Amino acid sequence: MTAPLFRKILVANRGEIACRVMRTLAEMGIASVAIHHRVEARARHVRMADEAVEITGETPVAAHLDIDQIVEAARATGADAIHPGYGFLSENARFAEAVAAAGIAFIGPDAATISLMGDKISARNFAEANGVAVAPSVMPTDDIDAFVARAEGIGFPLLIKAAAGGGGKGMSIVRSAADLAEAARIAASEALRYFGDGRVYAETYVERPRHIEVQVLGDGEGGAIHLFERECSVQRRFQKIIEEAPAANLAPGLREEICQSAVRLAAAAKYRNAGTVEYILGADGRFFFLEMNTRLQVEHPVTEMITGLDLVRAQIEIAAGKGLPLAQADVAVNGHAIECRVCAEDPDRDFMPETGQVQYLGVPEEGWLRFESALDQGQKITADFDPMLAKLVVHGKDRGQAIDRSIEALGGLAVLGVKTNIDYLARVLGHDAFRAGELHTGFVKEHGAALAPPALPAETLAQVLAAAALGFREFQELALGTPEPYAAIGGWRN
Amino acid sequence: MAIRLSLGDEVHHVTILRRHPHLVLVIDGEEHEVTRLPGAGDGRGVVSIGGHEVAFARATLGDRQVVRLGGRTFDVSRVDPFSKGGAGGGAQDALKAPMPGAVVTVHRQPGETVARGEPLITIESMKLQTALPAPRDGVVAEILRAEGQTFEKDEVIATLEPETEDA
Repeated sequence: MTAPLFRKILVANRGEIACRVMRTLAEMGIASVAIHHRVEARARHVRMADEAVEITGETPVAAHLDIDQIVEAARATGADAIHPGYGFLSENARFAEAVAAAGIAFIGPDAATISLMGDKISARNFAEANGVAVAPSVMPTDDIDAFVARAEGIGFPLLIKAAAGGGGKGMSIVRSAADLAEAARIAASEALRYFGDGRVYAETYVERPRHIEVQVLGDGEGGAIHLFERECSVQRRFQKIIEEAPAANLAPGLREEICQSAVRLAAAAKYRNAGTVEYILGADGRFFFLEMNTRLQVEHPVTEMITGLDLVRAQIEIAAGKGLPLAQADVAVNGHAIECRVCAEDPDRDFMPETGQVQYLGVPEEGWLRFESALDQGQKITADFDPMLAKLVVHGKDRGQAIDRSIEALGGLAVLGVKTNIDYLARVLGHDAFRAGELHTGFVKEHGAALAPPALPAETLAQVLAAAALGFREFQELALGTPEPYAAIGGWRN
Repeated sequence: MAIRLSLGDEVHHVTILRRHPHLVLVIDGEEHEVTRLPGAGDGRGVVSIGGHEVAFARATLGDRQVVRLGGRTFDVSRVDPFSKGGAGGGAQDALKAPMPGAVVTVHRQPGETVARGEPLITIESMKLQTALPAPRDGVVAEILRAEGQTFEKDEVIATLEPETEDA
């Protein structure tokens, strides 16, 4: 084994992504440092790490956003690099700057690139200047009244976005002037709250748009390659719930055009790190630049599954100055991959977040399946963090097999004690329009009625009620007519 | 022994009819022979009912059983005949929190009128803002949580004046 590129890396994140990064660190022989708030001292990412440092804050999220504490934790533990994961500080230019100033490698682009791409308006201008198509009609402002007055002039429908935003925060579609003021106000207040920047802008909304994004790798010297596209059109509340690679029914010429556009942008920015260029694709084949995410994406595993690459390893090698791991000509697509985001939420009530305790966790195991999570049986699901509990990522030889396997895997997955969207995800995958690849970001709304829980056959109802009744110990004992411990003998595994 | 279970909006009855030679349950008036019994406790099990064997996963949460069977999850509650709740006004008079969170904006103050579907209170939970609409046309009676205050799921955070029946 050759000497590791870094000796020790602090993972400035938590949950499934911290665990996923640490897995690669272990494979590469690099020591890991976890950070955690008091409430998550026994979390899986803390147990997985070689070392852990407690960070403090009024809320757990505040602790994970505390730049000084995290840089100090890296310094104190002798980490020579920091991996930011996604979310939290992963796209914070001040963080990247502070890390670099401390003489620690930041596994990501430099602060200037983060700033450029982090502001949607400067990113858009940069894309446009480098021959990447952008959607018409953008009006940045931080004065709500002026914004509303001018946005009305563009015409509806409009998409309201936060200038500094991402992940659907502060975003909404507005179809009439009457709804504009409240939508803009909510967008601005969410923007201020989450990004510390209340500026919002509006752009023409493309009807039935598909969300297509391209995974790129850049070496920081102007060298860049793409690892093909992902489709993330199935969304609720503007957040992705099912992603796949490659995109369904994409004409080869169009695929090449979109991927080359992304490479052009990354090369022009002298981009360093793994990154994602997001586009909306209209039914007419026109595509527009949405934004560039300068970090690892939640859905990166689908790209890993079809290319056979480890994106975290690639990030680390690039950060260590090793350059790109392979040439464009050597990137090949093998089969199809689908990721389902398992969230604590109630699809029957507009996907409202749910809280609870994971009383039982049962995960299927297959060679074609990755279950990315930091879940533990007994874990309390609180409102402290994002409602995403896990990602179920499945590979198939083609899209049809990937769909079938995903449905099978979701069927075998049990997260009991907190309401989740597991059943709902399986219904989406099983829907004819999904199988046909007729995707757009309004898919969930369009097929809302068909995606509701189906009627329950009488036979199934009896089975459910019998299983439930026999779950109550008193009922079980009476049914058996025998005292414990004989009551424990039965068709019982696990 | 009989047990009353609620699933969704319906209440079901499960009764033990006899135990020998096989357990026979009466479920909503229909007899079902249970030839293979699952054990108690959380985890995966198999029940054979009416000659059909079916695998499931189950967890007990107090008076609730969460059962995952046939790729679907069911939340079954035991109905306690002694705790018949339901005092107070109609459900339409109260705005209940659909999830735990905090109040961001109160759009209507007590005494103000509100139309069904109009935003009454904007709340925030798990980094999401949601405008909660008024359940019906009416006059705001009380706002029980001020801006910035937190609440639990199902807590009543605002009420409307009772509807007068006289037309």
